[in-house]
Amino acid sequence: MPKTDVINGNKAAAVAVSLVEPDVIAAYPITPQSSIVEYLTQFVINNDIDSYMSEVESEHSAMSVLTGASLSGGRTFTATASQGLSLMYEPYFRASTLRLPVVMAVTNREMISPQTVWGGPQDSLSVRDAGWLQIYVEDNQEILDTIIQAYRIAEDKKVLLPINVCFDGFYLTHMTEKVEIPDKQDIDRFLPEYNPEHIILDSEKPMAVDPLTSGYLLMEYREKHLKAQQEALKLIEEVDSLYEGITGRSYGGLVENYKCDDADYVIVTMGSMTGACREAVDHKRNEGLKVGLLKIRALRPFPKQKVMEIISGKKAFGVVDRNVSFGWDTGIIYQEVKSALYDSKCYMPSVPFIGGLGGEDITIEHFEDAIVKIHEAYQNENNPQTVWLKN
Amino acid sequence: MMESKEKEYITSVGEGIYSINTGDWRINEPVLDQEKCKKCGLCFLYCPVFCIEKKDDYYEINYDYCKGCGICARECKSGAIKMVEKGSSSYAKN
Amino acid sequence: MRETIETLSNNKELISPGISACVGCNVELTLRTVMRVLGPNTIIAIPPGCMGGVGVVGWNKKSGANVPVFFPLLDNTASMLAGIKAYYKKIGRDINVVAFAGDGASVDCGFQSLSGAAERNDNIIYICYDNEGYMNTGYQRSASTTRGAWTSTTPVSKEKVGGKKQHKKDFPMIMAMHDIPYMATASPAYIPDLVNKVKKAMEVKEGLAYIHVLNPCLTGWGIKPNESIEVSRLSVQTRFFPLYEVVNGDFKLTVDIKKPKPVEQYINKIKKFSHLSKDDIEEIQNYVDKKWNKLKMSCVEGGRNDEQ
Ligand code: SF4
Ligand code: SF4
Repeated sequence: MPKTDVINGNKAAAVAVSLVEPDVIAAYPITPQSSIVEYLTQFVINNDIDSYMSEVESEHSAMSVLTGASLSGGRTFTATASQGLSLMYEPYFRASTLRLPVVMAVTNREMISPQTVWGGPQDSLSVRDAGWLQIYVEDNQEILDTIIQAYRIAEDKKVLLPINVCFDGFYLTHMTEKVEIPDKQDIDRFLPEYNPEHIILDSEKPMAVDPLTSGYLLMEYREKHLKAQQEALKLIEEVDSLYEGITGRSYGGLVENYKCDDADYVIVTMGSMTGACREAVDHKRNEGLKVGLLKIRALRPFPKQKVMEIISGKKAFGVVDRNVSFGWDTGIIYQEVKSALYDSKCYMPSVPFIGGLGGEDITIEHFEDAIVKIHEAYQNENNPQTVWLKN
Repeated sequence: MMESKEKEYITSVGEGIYSINTGDWRINEPVLDQEKCKKCGLCFLYCPVFCIEKKDDYYEINYDYCKGCGICARECKSGAIKMVEKGSSSYAKN
Repeated sequence: MRETIETLSNNKELISPGISACVGCNVELTLRTVMRVLGPNTIIAIPPGCMGGVGVVGWNKKSGANVPVFFPLLDNTASMLAGIKAYYKKIGRDINVVAFAGDGASVDCGFQSLSGAAERNDNIIYICYDNEGYMNTGYQRSASTTRGAWTSTTPVSKEKVGGKKQHKKDFPMIMAMHDIPYMATASPAYIPDLVNKVKKAMEVKEGLAYIHVLNPCLTGWGIKPNESIEVSRLSVQTRFFPLYEVVNGDFKLTVDIKKPKPVEQYINKIKKFSHLSKDDIEEIQNYVDKKWNKLKMSCVEGGRNDEQ
């Protein structure tokens, strides 16, 4: 029988990993991720899990150890944030281009400068085009469930790509919530063994990994990599329903559609801010404004079709970004959503919002204001400049 | 087309041996005089290409990949190996 | 020596017979020798550098070796190998997990991951072929370049001013100070000694074994191909590069040089030193003497006298 526990997001992540029992874990501590590493080393020393734990000297080595372990056929896990993710960029990119299904939690934290340790997904969003799958989650239960699903998605023969499960630092990592912990037997049944054939370092099957390669072949590999990302679109949805069959919990797969079907206006969110936005949507609906919420879960692959289906035909939309896109004068998700809508051939006004940087709160009031601004954009038929949600 | 018969991969891996014909490189080539040879094996130990082969009781140069560096001639203490212009020796294959 | 010849002639060649290493390259010799000793139960990492460049990792869909071979990144060789070893250890398979890396990938940007793996007792064999610089990218200096040497980034003026200003990083000693179970230096001019050391490294089942090989680079340093081994031998006979090993903390010369030749003899064979003055050479000689004396003091016993 599944148990229930009141735990923080980092513990939820560690518990998910303990249910999967990867062969090799390597990690380097960084705020706000550190307690994940502590929980896991404790699980290993207690013999709760049979995993090899490497306490590496840097994030660069964490990803490198996992690259080696995954190349040998092992199942792997690490977690990091911000500066740690930047430091590991070199092996990070390569884990995806070698098509290694590494699973990594990112406890989202702002990038310096200024010196900061608080939440914000600028870190993982900045590396969104390094070939990994990226899923952003909202609460501790979703952290646990998504990390387990991540293995199934990453290791599928149609996909074979590394995956990030991203969640906001402090808001989720350090906040405790009630979390249901599935039975290990159920997870064992849910997760088939990982048996790589596409790439392996094994003396019984000599193979060169990464010979010097001509451009024409590189193009072929990139094309297949892009296709695998598209395959993941289907798979993320399938795995979500499969998992629902076992635990009764579904997150909608690529996106969550909250009251968008009959809405005139849509507000787009991602990550832990979504809870407050749901309340704001309910308030505004009570006041008679037909607004819905679209939560982006999968950022890579980007759920273009879903976003189009949900937003096209509405009167206006807005996107609340907890990050910036330098050079665009907006947040990143705003640009992604706008690109997705281009093919829908229907134009509507839209409003970019930026808020909550460096761990600042985005309050229910902020979201209510934002919804009003989206409504105004429709009435005034204009696209306002980025609106900063400040206190 | 050759290409279509090749095994397909989704990422950068290689199977089977790639080699280039380094025997083409040499200008001079070694000739081993079995009479003078003391069978010490120094040439075998120091040939970078490992193209001097140990037979049961003598050594023989395999010219397939010999780059003609002359190390074997230099390291032989008995003067049993001479470097000659490529093709000028009856021992050497082309 | 007989034993070495037996080992090397009985064991199969595991590297592609035709790789495009320069004519007379003693790194090619070192790699082929090492691989014959290691045998087929081996996974080998060749980071970017000469051996990767000449085709040991292969080309397009072909491999350059008959064992699993791969390019790590320039700076993560040791940690990638640690991950491979971790997995095989976990599933209970004993397999040689080996690096064959240049000095750039070891003493410069790869040092952090190598030092980390050494400290964590990761059970890998790490062989550094030290050709004193970034030879594959056109002979730039590294921390391992000898003082005074011309490189493409430590150029020399018409007035013969220039060359590298700093001494070579004493990397074997740095690795020994990690208290790893096995550390050794080796030379392509002393193949039986090298073969013994690789065998000892293979016996290490807990912790890291490190072998540092000084490989004079013919093209980058300006050495005649047929003098490839001779110059390597001079590096040892002048005490410029002592051959020693450190087994569980105990230092021992494996080739003692009782009557050293002057360093000048080594230097004179190499074009990258051709601009050096008498004083410059004396400076290097003093440094070599000082280093040798220090090493001698650390040694529990002397080795056999040099017989070559
Ligand atoms: S010339 Fe060089 S490559 Fe040819 S056999 Fe002699 S040592 Fe080997
Ligand atoms: S080095 Fe000279 S004497 Fe020794 S085996 Fe070779 S050819 Fe014969």
